[in-house]
Amino acid sequence: MLVMGEVHTGLLQSSGEIPESACRDVLHLMSGETVRLSRRPMIYAVSPDLLTGVDCRLPSASRSRIRGVGTVVSHSSITGGRVVQGSSYARVERAETDRRLAWSHYLARPGVIEVLGKAKSSDLGDGFIGDPQPNGLDLGSISARFMDVVQSSPLLDRRAPFKVARTKVRWVAQPGDPAIRFTLNADQTRTIRIAHSGDFTPAVVDLCEDLALHDWLLTTLLLIVERARIGGRAGPEVVAKLAPAVDHLLHLWMPAARVDEALVPYWHGLEDRMRFTAQWERLVRRIRDQLTLNDAAMLRSARHP
Amino acid sequence: MTSVDATFGEVAAERRTASAPLSHVSIELGHLYMEDFEAGPERLRQQFRRVAPWAATVRTSWQDRVPGRRARVSTCFLIDDYFSRFSTPAELIPMVLEAAAECDLTIDYLARESACAVSDGVELAKLVEDRLVDDPSPDTNGSRPPVKETGWLCNGSRSPQVGSVQAMGKAQRWAPPVQNAKRGHSVFVDVELWDEHGGKRTWSCPFLAAVWQLLRLGLLRREGRLPVRPVPRDDAFPEDWESLPAIVQLNPAAAPFSAYTTLSVLSPRFLPVELAVRTILSQVAVDGDVLEQVAARSGGEGIKLEDELVDRISYVFT
Repeated sequence: MLVMGEVHTGLLQSSGEIPESACRDVLHLMSGETVRLSRRPMIYAVSPDLLTGVDCRLPSASRSRIRGVGTVVSHSSITGGRVVQGSSYARVERAETDRRLAWSHYLARPGVIEVLGKAKSSDLGDGFIGDPQPNGLDLGSISARFMDVVQSSPLLDRRAPFKVARTKVRWVAQPGDPAIRFTLNADQTRTIRIAHSGDFTPAVVDLCEDLALHDWLLTTLLLIVERARIGGRAGPEVVAKLAPAVDHLLHLWMPAARVDEALVPYWHGLEDRMRFTAQWERLVRRIRDQLTLNDAAMLRSARHP
Repeated sequence: MTSVDATFGEVAAERRTASAPLSHVSIELGHLYMEDFEAGPERLRQQFRRVAPWAATVRTSWQDRVPGRRARVSTCFLIDDYFSRFSTPAELIPMVLEAAAECDLTIDYLARESACAVSDGVELAKLVEDRLVDDPSPDTNGSRPPVKETGWLCNGSRSPQVGSVQAMGKAQRWAPPVQNAKRGHSVFVDVELWDEHGGKRTWSCPFLAAVWQLLRLGLLRREGRLPVRPVPRDDAFPEDWESLPAIVQLNPAAAPFSAYTTLSVLSPRFLPVELAVRTILSQVAVDGDVLEQVAARSGGEGIKLEDELVDRISYVFT
């Protein structure tokens, strides 16, 4: 019927970027399962997929009582040794019977939530993207826990170079003519609706995680520039405020680097509309200009003390 | 200029899952505890005499199912060296083999129960414990981590603590436990997985039996590899259990140890243990790649396996 997911993204609670070996240790969430890691174009490490069992009300725009039983798939990941994500999703499918079955039935279909009774996929999707109901399926809490498990690792020094809130992206994927819609909501949550041709594959999850990562980078860079109050305080102070961006963020922008080739057009489609990269590059130029100006000023004062 | 289709792969980022050689059925001919051993070889002969006709029936029924009657059937025997240590492999194994042969049974593989806890430094029991996904009670929406009684696993909601006082000062009344997938009425099962004394963990018999079933079904992997492989027997059996491999292949011509399905022929006194085993196995999440691998292999042979792994396990209680 449809797939629902939620990705939380934040700054790793560590003073500097952590090396590959530490990524592996921090993400080692299950014995006997290796942490998958890729080094190109930048280090990306992801924990094994873990399941969480649920039996609860599913979101519904019409506020119908729809019961779903099954499992949610989650994992934690670290990009560039610096940005942490907790990501969860579940495929929602119609059950063959209206009765709750033995748990072994649901574990034979990992990552599927079966709907007991009648439900419309559009009603579920709109409900999930819209106002979440209390006591309904809470993918947000599950993803938050998968982020917390990394952030609370004893291997991290917990001295992040700056404070920034985590971002939350809720997404829904349904079969249809290829389309994507990204919405920034007033409450700081973001929502993505994806229509994909053919069957759902986990590549859609990678796409949403990549979008969430870049949305967080952009949001964070905007915040750092805003906090620096360019023009509102002395040059060296501004530069000191902008320094963390240079040290920790600027090299991480690499849109669609991990996205399946078949889904890259979704990124391009969004770029055409939202001009993410253009905005990022403008901010980067602004930061570099400040650094250049400050260098020049320092040079001048060194020559003419 | 024409475009070039380029691909780039990184080995570390890809997941590899080894496949296990698989028989059609793995028949457990018996499970030997100290009390059986103490009762002498006649007890063993009795056990094998009871098992033999059932083993023959299962073998024939698989031969009828498989083209050319080429059913792959392997037999195994489990010796408890975990809860109590008795005798030595050198003394015990020949006695077991002799008693089996008298009833025209061949034991293909012999396993040690302690290997289900730790084998060659691999903590198999821990591997399975980490793969437990708790059966959620109604209104479990993911907002809180699963409620756990450390070291226990159940198939529903436990009774609230009698006598505990809630925030408003009213003492809680007793309420019955409820099975999550009940049909009309509940059969509530709560299984002890392990206990700890002086910092040492002892896994329960049902938990090790669950590990044993997963090994026989070829569904366990450690970092994508098979955690235990049968080792061919030496000419002589060792004097201590530690020197005996986790699984010894006694019959060089045996079909593979692991199988699509398992059959255990057991005394009815094991019924509660096996209910506990099924309660545990119903909550083990087997690696999706491994499940697909087994489904593809069996499908290729024209055999449709049950989706749920507990349905691939059968018993004869006699």
